[in-house]
Amino acid sequence: MSTEVGDTTNLSEKKDFLVNSSSLKDVRSFSREVFEKFKINEELREELVLAIAEAAQNIVKHAYKDYPDTQDRMAVRISCTDKELEISFFDKGKPVEKSKVKHRAIDDVKPGGLGTFFIQEIMDSIKFKEGDKPWINNLVLTKKL
Amino acid sequence: MKFKVTESENVSTVFLDGEIDMDVADNVREVVFPLIDSGKEVHLNLKGVQYMDSSGISVIVESNQRAKEKNTKVELKEVSQPVEKVLAMARKFL
Repeated sequence: MSTEVGDTTNLSEKKDFLVNSSSLKDVRSFSREVFEKFKINEELREELVLAIAEAAQNIVKHAYKDYPDTQDRMAVRISCTDKELEISFFDKGKPVEKSKVKHRAIDDVKPGGLGTFFIQEIMDSIKFKEGDKPWINNLVLTKKL
Repeated sequence: MKFKVTESENVSTVFLDGEIDMDVADNVREVVFPLIDSGKEVHLNLKGVQYMDSSGISVIVESNQRAKEKNTKVELKEVSQPVEKVLAMARKFL
């Protein structure tokens, strides 16, 4: 885990993980540790952990759908100012087709669709960007504090 | 994630414990689905579940659908607070 400290009101932590469903627990542990360090209140903390875990799960399920045995890594960066949290995800998987990122019809509940709905419910904004090399995808979630 | 199954008359109760995510969702299906397929009523005791994401919700939805097909039912018991919060959010979607 790396820490970048600008000043006391601008903190950032980043860690990378193997792109695999077994890494999701580690992603949650990292997130909880960082939010505790950033003194985010416990109720919001668990909601944010869920949003982060769902976004990481989407990378495993969708960006690497055809590569279950990949050795690629994804990175999660959590940055915090006194007004806003920014959570960025970086991966080298299949480029995200923004038009296809939506939750599913009510009668077709699957983890991916519901997960995207959870992210939308918890976060204030969701932006997909092209990642700077070596990354392909860069998802940025923000939440006002 | 750990589990324990108890049987009484026509009800099987599955006590789930730990965190339910994409990594363990299939393990839960492997435990719960055969019980449903046997035609018994299945209770999922979630008292010991500290974390559940969309994968866990999906297992519950699929279990309900499967139970309807088998003319039985699935009930949630002793739902923990973290799971109740996720279920409440999911209900807006369902």
